[in-house]
Amino acid sequence: MESPRVSRYRIVSRMEKAKDHVELILEAPVLARAVPGQFVHVRTPGTLRRPISFSRLNPVRGEAGLLFQVVGPGTAWLAGREQGDWLDVLGPLGQGFPRPEPDRPWCLVGGGVGIPPLYAALTAWQNDVTASIDAILGARSQDYLIMLEDFGAQIDHPIAVTTDDGSVGAQGTVLGPLAHWHARHPTGQVYACGPMPMLAAVARLMQTSGVAYLALEQRMGCGVGACLACVVMANGPEGPLWRRVCHDGPVFRAEELIWS
Amino acid sequence: MNLAVRVGAVRLANPIMAASGTFGFGPEYQGLVNIARLGGIAVKGVSPGPWPGNPPPRVWETEGGMLNSIGLQNPGVEVFCREDLPFLRTTKTRVVVNVIGRTIDEYCQVVERLEAESGIDALELNISCPNIKEGGMSFGQDPEHAAQVTRAVRACTKRPLWVKLSPNVADPGAIAAAVERVGADAISAINTVVGMAIDVKRRRPALGGISGGLSGPAIKPIALRVVYQVAQSVSIPIVGMGGIRSVEDVVEFLMAGASAVMVGTATFAEPGTMEAIIEELPGYLARLEVSSVHELIGAALPGR
Ligand SMILES: Cc1cc2nc3c(=O)[nH]c(=O)nc-3n(C[C@H](O)[C@H](O)[C@H](O)COP(=O)(O)OP(=O)(O)OC[C@H]3O[C@@H](n4cnc5c(N)ncnc54)[C@H](O)[C@@H]3O)c2cc1C
Ligand SMILES: Cc1cc2nc3c(=O)[nH]c(=O)nc-3n(C[C@H](O)[C@H](O)[C@H](O)COP(=O)(O)O)c2cc1C
Ligand code: FES
Repeated sequence: MESPRVSRYRIVSRMEKAKDHVELILEAPVLARAVPGQFVHVRTPGTLRRPISFSRLNPVRGEAGLLFQVVGPGTAWLAGREQGDWLDVLGPLGQGFPRPEPDRPWCLVGGGVGIPPLYAALTAWQNDVTASIDAILGARSQDYLIMLEDFGAQIDHPIAVTTDDGSVGAQGTVLGPLAHWHARHPTGQVYACGPMPMLAAVARLMQTSGVAYLALEQRMGCGVGACLACVVMANGPEGPLWRRVCHDGPVFRAEELIWS
Repeated sequence: MNLAVRVGAVRLANPIMAASGTFGFGPEYQGLVNIARLGGIAVKGVSPGPWPGNPPPRVWETEGGMLNSIGLQNPGVEVFCREDLPFLRTTKTRVVVNVIGRTIDEYCQVVERLEAESGIDALELNISCPNIKEGGMSFGQDPEHAAQVTRAVRACTKRPLWVKLSPNVADPGAIAAAVERVGADAISAINTVVGMAIDVKRRRPALGGISGGLSGPAIKPIALRVVYQVAQSVSIPIVGMGGIRSVEDVVEFLMAGASAVMVGTATFAEPGTMEAIIEELPGYLARLEVSSVHELIGAALPGR
């Protein structure tokens, strides 16, 4: 595994992916060897870095992508970067997704800006999986849906899409299509990333059978396990304990976590 | 250029240390920070048994700083001795163990348990903890309670004993003088400044712990004033901290009366901060036409 380092990387391209969503591609051979689900801590003006997952990892071209939604000053500053600018990045950080089991049906479930790390997982491992591969992408509305074309270019059958307002795909959340998929593939493997309530629901659904890996978000300080800011409640050998999203995660097995 | 300094009996190769709670128990920043280059590291606060800490969110960025409400989560002194001290013993730097407790007894339990262990260069008493016997007000709130806990711990150990002051008090100089009288070997100052933020999206206090501790550049003027005042109230050395990011910040603390400094929050954004400061310090001192760190300590104090 690549050990984390602080380095500057050049932005080789910048794309507007949807309303308020920007993807930056970095020329970063070291980061490109990271594991999907890992993240970087990006320097922006202000006291703390900003955690962003890899949206793409291309070790052959030596490129890594970061796709983010503009939600505040840090991401607004990032969205203002242009091709040729340099980013100061700490990473790769955390534990990514495991390699999927080849013969288990695989479903990638992304909500909003939770979609990008699943795309990185898909492109890294789709050739390893001989069982079926499906994707379920959810967003607030059509304007905010990201990476549908990227997924479409990799998966040769329809991708389930849901939006809160029904402006594209089925109205509702990713849970509807996922329940469907789970009924057809009870022993399948689910990789999910998105808002906490969505992940909690995915964990509940997958309790009966199959396996689920969830990529979590939490407010962070250091990003390397030193400050204990980014904790989530998990099951320990002697009862509940806090685990660090930045160091023990961001990817956890669903049954490791305790949902309040 | 002579970068070495002494904090009482503790000799540091240079005056730059990592601040408690921002550098874990040492190994977390391996590969990013060369611990051997640092003057020392203060580890996360250690209590007698495990403390769970506060619910998240535990950090919140603010203008020029950040709030934290980690709540002193730590695995307790037993686990610390078993799992963290072996690594710390291998490091070629000074190790300062930050000690926390909710009663005087609890502080003593930690310190007594550490007596049997090697590899510890100093103890740093964090007296900002809530004193549960006195209604949750922190030990650091007044000179009398600060002296009580310091006296009790002094009786359990001969190790260098640093007492870390809270800035959330009317007269830090009086507290420093009180702990000096009962045997403190140095003063660390400052801990975080109490504050809070509101998350307008959730219409709730931003932090799980409701209020939290402010750190980072925003508190540097507060910290400098405490160090400057304490320096005139005691004759034991001072370890200064609060918002340090640059070599110039360090020199300000030295001139205000600190013998050494700690860097906390700045490490989060720039893990290389401490090493960069150590790198730049000789050149900066040369420009000030001094040949040792020592010459600057207290240079801005009245009568100097
Ligand atoms: C492991 C991980 C991976 C992430 N990956 C992505 C991604 O691929 N794409 C994307 O758009 N977003 C991602 N996020 C969320 C992203 O970090 C925040 O949206 C971003 O930090 C907001 O910064 P800001 O200054 O724009 O907003 P503000 O809300 O002003 O930020 C204020 C502070 O809160 C923190 N913060 C705010 N929202 C979040 C959040 N959801 N999670 C963690 N910290 C937050 C910020 O880092 C900053 O310290 C990820 C978060 C984590 C923890
Ligand atoms: C996340 C975090 C955790 C901290 N934990 C402790 C602690 O356990 N014990 C302690 O004495 N101080 C603790 N502190 C205070 C720092 O050691 C330091 O006194 C303070 O942050 C000011 O320095 P800075 O502005 O350089 O961070 C903590 C600070 C932060 C930001
Ligand atoms: S962000 Fe510091 S421990 Fe995770």
